[in-house]
Amino acid sequence: MRRIFHDWRWWALLGAAGLLAAAVLRPYGWREAAAYPLVAVVDITRSMNVRDMRLRGVATDRLGYVRTILRRTLRRLPCGSRLGVGVFTGRRTTLLLMPLEVCGHFHELSRVIGRLDWRMAWAADSRVAAGLLDAMTLMARPGLRGHALLWFTDGHEAPPVNPRYQPGFSAVKGKVKGMLVGVGGTVPAPIPKFDEDGRRQGFYRPEDVPHRSTFGEPVRPPRGAPGFHPRNAPFGGEWVLGQEHLSSLRGEYLRRLADTAGLDYHPLSDPSALLAAVDTLGVTETVRRPRDWRPWLGGAAWLLWVGVYAGGWVSGGDDRRKNRKRSNT
Amino acid sequence: MAAWPVEWSEPGWLLSLPVAVLPWLFSPLRRADVAWDVLLPPDPWSLALTRAVPLAGSLALAALVLALAGPGVPERVVDKIGRGAHLVLLLDRSQSMDNTFAGRAPGGDEISKGGAAARLLGEFLERRPHDWIGVAGFSTGALYQCPLTGRRSANQAAVATVALPGLAYTHVAKGLALALDFFVDQPLSGSRAIVLVSDGAAVIDPKTQQMLRTAFKRHQVRLYWIFLRGAGSPGIHDAPADPAEDNPHARPEYYLHRFFQTLGVAYQAFEAENPEGLRRAIAAIDRLEKRPFHYREVRAGRDLSGPLYWAALAGALLLLAVKSLEA
Repeated sequence: MRRIFHDWRWWALLGAAGLLAAAVLRPYGWREAAAYPLVAVVDITRSMNVRDMRLRGVATDRLGYVRTILRRTLRRLPCGSRLGVGVFTGRRTTLLLMPLEVCGHFHELSRVIGRLDWRMAWAADSRVAAGLLDAMTLMARPGLRGHALLWFTDGHEAPPVNPRYQPGFSAVKGKVKGMLVGVGGTVPAPIPKFDEDGRRQGFYRPEDVPHRSTFGEPVRPPRGAPGFHPRNAPFGGEWVLGQEHLSSLRGEYLRRLADTAGLDYHPLSDPSALLAAVDTLGVTETVRRPRDWRPWLGGAAWLLWVGVYAGGWVSGGDDRRKNRKRSNT
Repeated sequence: MAAWPVEWSEPGWLLSLPVAVLPWLFSPLRRADVAWDVLLPPDPWSLALTRAVPLAGSLALAALVLALAGPGVPERVVDKIGRGAHLVLLLDRSQSMDNTFAGRAPGGDEISKGGAAARLLGEFLERRPHDWIGVAGFSTGALYQCPLTGRRSANQAAVATVALPGLAYTHVAKGLALALDFFVDQPLSGSRAIVLVSDGAAVIDPKTQQMLRTAFKRHQVRLYWIFLRGAGSPGIHDAPADPAEDNPHARPEYYLHRFFQTLGVAYQAFEAENPEGLRRAIAAIDRLEKRPFHYREVRAGRDLSGPLYWAALAGALLLLAVKSLEA
């Protein structure tokens, strides 16, 4: 009996049995992984219909581009991440889905992102700064607190804003982490126009839209301008035509707005760059996910066990083939 | 159950399945010299053992390889017959939902209509495990909030948004059109219903009325309207006494109710004047929408490697025992 203790194969079999005994006890370890709590809010105002984006070489409108990139990002988000989906129009932001775990609710999130549409709009203005403030206020609610705000917009304020009356962000600044994600081309492009039933009606023409703000008092009264009157025509009396019927990504404006609101600015390109930017926001959570140790234990047992048999081959020792050969001769 | 629906998480291990022939070629046992075994009488037990040991080793090694390959039944959707419905919750997200039933901003422990609707609909969702439920919101525009799904957590996430600040006006026709759109391309099975929860109504022009009528009939959708009646609202049932008020613009609720009655599909209206009334209305719908229907249930994936590890362990222990017996 004592001789078997000198036989390495006995020890190897004992080891394999021990490893397998450990495996059937289902030992689970924990693995720490990064997860992102996010709320994506998408601008659904008219300027987002401008077709100046490209997806695999095909011209796409900005909203369609955001939908596609968001869905691709959703696919890339690690399990345990949460994503809420919201829309912005007018001067308000609202959510369609409160944050949901991305792997368990992939279908629902993907469908809701796919149905984001300018027709959802409940108001026609595009007050980006006011909408952002509204979103940041919402982010203090239970269920949204602690999530990073990703605000997808082209930065096109319509009608143009009077910088004198921009909303103040002091109440929310620093309380919400997040970033403005800029969408749109650099060349001003025409904005599609739709009729009451949602059919395309060409583009907005210069005379369709106001080209400057005439609300309240100007920052610097244009004294000496034609028709200027301090009380009756504080912006001057002339009808001004500008470029407001065209739209491009107002990156500089968004960068300043982000700065005012205590957020980051990121021009949208692809999911990897977006996720890399999200990484720098400092909202990344570590989730603990179970790790199954059985493959490691079973793999080690496999090595030992196969070694027991293969050992017979390599050492050319006392295996049955040899016995048979011997008995044949 | 058409095919054997096993998926392997580490299929590469299957390539090492041929190691199961090793026990037939080599033995873990030590050779014992016997002078001349012809002298020994044939022993059936010994012969059986010379077959059984490699067989056990072979099976156990195969079991270990299969276990390492990680077999599992993937998560799948199974068809079932149960009691429930395909429901679309169509929720008013207009600004007035921020007010209490008394028509003012909530203060203290008062609850807004939106908050009450979110909470009570959330409880309703918990009581309906089998339904296939979608959620749409509407204000001036219609909001697609959650596709028809069996996942209650997704429904909850959509319904919870009703408690967020309201948006603008009540464009009920757009909301109904979106809600009906949920049933396009859905197999017709069991009952289908739209549960409209609103605190107001709007005029629907005749052309849109006709479109809605057609769609309701085509998709065989029933309609429940829970009207959150605020203080001072004349309600949906009483005809206006004053002829000057007897028009859709003065009494949109009454006229919307009349329009719904002409839809040609089963329709029921509930007036809720407080959270308790809302609770009763939801309970009534809960009772009514319990017909047998064909639903799909998501069955969670299962790991099948457990028994295989046990088999491998049994084989290893057997070999170890045999090995220990050789002295």
